[in-house]
Amino acid sequence: MLTLALIRDTFREALARKIFWVLFALSTLMILFFLFLLKIDIVAGATATVSLFGQQTRGNPDVDRMVRGVYGGIASFLYTFGMFLAVFASSGLVPSVLEPGRIELLLSKPLSRTHLLLGRFLGNVLVVSLNSIYLVLGVWTILGVKTGIWSPAFLIAIATTTFIFAVLLSVVVLIGVTLESAAAATMITVALMIISPILAQTNLMMRLLSSEWSRNVWRVLYYSLPKVYELGKITLDAIQSGTFAGYTPIWTSALFGLATLGAALWIFQRRDF
Amino acid sequence: MPVDSQYAIETQDLTKIYRARWSGREVRAIDSVSLRVPRGTTFGLLGPNGAGKTTFVKTLLSAVRQTNGSALIFGRNASDPEARRPIGYLPENHRFPTYFTGSGMLDFYASLSGVSAAQRKKLIPEQLELVGLSQWGAMRIGKYSKGMLQRLGLAQALIHSPSMLILDEPTDGVDPVGRREIRELLGRFESQGVTIFVNSHLLAEVETLCREVAILHKGKVALTGKMQDLTAGKGYKLTVAKPSDVLTEELRAKATSMAARDGLVDFQFSSRELVNNAVDLLRAQQCEIESLAPTTSTLEEVFVRTVENK
Repeated sequence: MLTLALIRDTFREALARKIFWVLFALSTLMILFFLFLLKIDIVAGATATVSLFGQQTRGNPDVDRMVRGVYGGIASFLYTFGMFLAVFASSGLVPSVLEPGRIELLLSKPLSRTHLLLGRFLGNVLVVSLNSIYLVLGVWTILGVKTGIWSPAFLIAIATTTFIFAVLLSVVVLIGVTLESAAAATMITVALMIISPILAQTNLMMRLLSSEWSRNVWRVLYYSLPKVYELGKITLDAIQSGTFAGYTPIWTSALFGLATLGAALWIFQRRDF
Repeated sequence: MPVDSQYAIETQDLTKIYRARWSGREVRAIDSVSLRVPRGTTFGLLGPNGAGKTTFVKTLLSAVRQTNGSALIFGRNASDPEARRPIGYLPENHRFPTYFTGSGMLDFYASLSGVSAAQRKKLIPEQLELVGLSQWGAMRIGKYSKGMLQRLGLAQALIHSPSMLILDEPTDGVDPVGRREIRELLGRFESQGVTIFVNSHLLAEVETLCREVAILHKGKVALTGKMQDLTAGKGYKLTVAKPSDVLTEELRAKATSMAARDGLVDFQFSSRELVNNAVDLLRAQQCEIESLAPTTSTLEEVFVRTVENK
C-alpha cells in the first residue's frame, strides 16, 4: 500500500507539471500523424499506393522496409528528444520531495527512507514507461492495421527506453539528493547522454590515442558510464534488421544504474532535513 | 503499535552536533537532552529562537540523525519506522503539495500512515468536518488560506487516530476563533488519552493547553516541570490607597516590587509572613487597604526568568 501511495503521488505530481503533458502531446501527435496522414492501400497483399499528406508515392514501395524505417524513426525519437524531455521533466521530482516542510512530514510516517526514495523512483519510471507504451503500441497498432505487418521487434523499444531512462533517472536521483537542484540534475544527465556516442567510438579511439594511460582512461570511462547511444543502436538494429549486437552495453549500464541508485540511497539515509 | 512504556517520549543525553562542511565548525543544536513525556499528558516545549526545539522534534522523527544519546517513542527506538506509526505530526512551515485537493492530501498521508482504502473513504469526510473544512475538500489546496492549510495539516495529523500528536506551532496563522476551536479539539483528544507534544512560541497558549513544560535554552534543558508547580504560589499583591511617603518607603523595603497608579500603590510580597507584616503596619497607620490577593507567575515570567538566568 505504501509503495502504491508513493507511485500515485509521483503520478499526480508529474501530471501537474506541464512538461509531462508536452511529452504526452508529442506522442499523441505522432500517433495521429500515422492514423490520419499516412494512407496505405494494399491490393492482393501488395502495396498499391502509399500517400503522405495527400501526395502519393510513385512506383511500388517496399512497405516492410518503410514500416521498419518508421519504427526506427520512432525509436530514435524516443532515445534522443523523448529521453531528453523525460529527463528534463523528471529532474524536479526528487528535489521537490526534499523541500523543507514537505520532507519532514514524509519522514514522520512509518516508512523507511529507502522505501520513500525507491517509491518515487519507481513512480517516475512508470510515468515515462507508460508514455513509451502509449507511443510505441499506438504506432505499432496503427501501422499493423494499415499494412498488415506486425513486427514484434518494435516492442523492444518499450523495454529498452524504459531501461535506459531508469539508468539515467538514477543519476537524476543522485544529484537530486546531493545538490537538491533540478537544473544540475538535468545538466549532468544530459551531459552523460551527449558523451555517450563519443565514448562509443572506442575502437577508433584505441587506434588514435597514443599512450596506454590515456587508452586506459578511455576504457574506464567507456565501461563505467551508461551507454545510451549503443542501447539505442542495439534497439534500432533489432527493429530494422533483426540482429543483436551483444549484452555488454546492457549489463554495464545496469551496473552503473544500480551503483548510482545505491549511492543516492546511501546519501539519502545519512542526510539531515 | 505502541509497545508497553509509561512514557510517550523518553530521551537520554540526546545530542545533535552540526558540523560545517568546509570550516569544520561545530554547533551543538541540542546538548545532552534527557526528557520524559508521560503518556496521555499535554506537554509543551518552549525556548527562544535557536534553542534547539525544532532539532529536538526532528530527531524524534528521525528527520535528523542524533550524534549521541537515545530517543524512544513509546519505548521503541525512534529510528525504527514503526516507532512513528502512532505519531501524528504537524510541522512548522509545512509545504503541502499544491496539486492535491484537501481530500486528496488527506488520502495520501493517511495511506502512508497505513490506513486502508475503505477506512480512508469513511475518515476523510469526518476529519474535514472535524476541522471545519467539509465544504473545501474538493478544492485544490493551492487556493487555501494559511489558516485553512493549518486546519488541514491538523486533520492529516489526526486521521490515523494516533496515540501521540507532535504539533509544531499548531495555531500558526489561525484566527482567534479558530485557535479556540483547535484548543478545544486538542483538549478532547487529551481526554481520550492521546499524548500531545506542542512546540510553540505562544506562551499564553502553551500555558492554557499544557500540563507539563520543558524550556530549552542553548540546546540544553533549562527547566522542566508541571505547569501548576511552575506558575503557582509565587506571592501576594497588596494594593494600598494613598499611603504616606514614609509608609511607602517602609513597604517598598519589604516588597519585591512596587508600582503606583491613580492614587493606588501595588506592592508585591514574596511570602505570607511579609504581607501580614505589611498589613499590620498599614492598620497601625490607619491606612486603607484597597485589596489583597495571592498571585501566581505567568509562564512568560517563568520563561524570561529561566532564559535570563542561564
